[in-house]
Amino acid sequence: MNPTTCRYTKDHEWIRGDNGVYTVGITNHAQELLGDITYVELPEVGADAQVGAPVGAVESVKAASDVYSPVTGQVAAVNEALEDQPELVNQSPYDNGWFFKLEGVDASEVEALMDAAAYEAYLEDLDE
Amino acid sequence: MRQTPLHEEHKALNAKIVDFHGWAMPLQYAGIVDEHKHTRAKAAVFDCSHMGEFILKGAEAVAGYDALVISDVGKIRTGRSRYGAILNPNGGIIDDAITFRMSEEELYVVTNAGTLEQISALLTALPGDVRDVSAETAKIDVQGPQARETLLAIGMDAAADMRYFSQRRIQWQGEEILLSRTGYTGELGFEIYVSNERAVPLWRALLDLAPTAPAGLGARDTLRMEAGYPLSGQDFDENRTPLEANMEMFVGWDSEFPGKDRLLKQKEAGGYSMLTPIRTPDRRAPRRGFEVYGANGEAIGEVTSGSFGPSVGHGAGFAYLPQDCRAPGTQLTAGPRRLPIEAAEAPLYKQGTVRN
Repeated sequence: MNPTTCRYTKDHEWIRGDNGVYTVGITNHAQELLGDITYVELPEVGADAQVGAPVGAVESVKAASDVYSPVTGQVAAVNEALEDQPELVNQSPYDNGWFFKLEGVDASEVEALMDAAAYEAYLEDLDE
Repeated sequence: MRQTPLHEEHKALNAKIVDFHGWAMPLQYAGIVDEHKHTRAKAAVFDCSHMGEFILKGAEAVAGYDALVISDVGKIRTGRSRYGAILNPNGGIIDDAITFRMSEEELYVVTNAGTLEQISALLTALPGDVRDVSAETAKIDVQGPQARETLLAIGMDAAADMRYFSQRRIQWQGEEILLSRTGYTGELGFEIYVSNERAVPLWRALLDLAPTAPAGLGARDTLRMEAGYPLSGQDFDENRTPLEANMEMFVGWDSEFPGKDRLLKQKEAGGYSMLTPIRTPDRRAPRRGFEVYGANGEAIGEVTSGSFGPSVGHGAGFAYLPQDCRAPGTQLTAGPRRLPIEAAEAPLYKQGTVRN
């Protein structure tokens, strides 16, 4: 369910690297908790993202919450499709529903995050 | 939590169940947005069995109730109904209520779950024959442009020619049930009151038909916000009067009711804030509890309801605003991030079929 190619945060963001560019989104668990997503606020391209700092927001019919950057870096791209189709986050949280891409990331910071197995164990603990 | 007679049906449909005023109620089945859009396009079926129902019989009970509700019951003709509210002696709204006149000497009153004990105590203390039938009554709403054909398809022929805010007792599968042409979505719709024993067969018969799908409290909430209907206990409570809750059109000034003197004084003094539909320019939603700020950044009011409106495509809700800030189009901001909002006119969703 949660791709093994990603790393995960306790705030339910995922991050996945490809040739030094890291894509970030929210997890399937996060989109399920939020329900129908109605609005996504994305950072500006070029902005500095600090680990753990809010860089965007996501709203659903039921709730609103901040989106945090899993690591430190610069915003290289944002998923503009979410502006008109925020439901992509519900439909495809790990692919078409990505939020933004980071560059200038310290790879060891990513490696230090939870892998898929650790994240799934974390979710199970949350359930209890 | 209390369960409605349809609880097992909700579980079988994989509903997400939430606590609503002590009742285990379905929040959603397929998803709030899908259910909302289905209601606007076809017909949705809602379990509202948590609500309160009362039967009042005899001249004494009718007169007693007339002296309790803000409506002028004498002006409700047999077969028709009227929206109103029941106040405390200070004019604060304990609950809203729809009053059906069944005959010259019989009323049927529908109220909400939140303050049911309080309302029940008031009504059953009236002189004459008053029965709280809430616990033995299931209420199923059918709402949407195809609601009428849905009811005709299960043999409720009366649906063919019932007018908005009218009701009839009809026979269905050997039982006398009550059918009213009312609703909370802004669409053509009916509300059906049956005994608990009939709830499951009725629910299944309705959902067996092609145009219908079940809808939960989540869609009910976004639908009513777009339609401009306030929610009792959320958009008003005992701290608000009918004048503040923008219900003056439902106040029977010729009739007596608790708190009337307070309302008259408030009306004369003026200057009170009023419940006002609000909208945002984009998909961001106002949220309950957001403070509202005026042109100079001063705090002027409070958001009581807010969500994304799936059919209007923007944020929608309600806020209490000073009277000079509530003209449609007045630009304001709300919440910690100063979300732009504007005062609007009900309904926000203009294409509703409620009067079709």
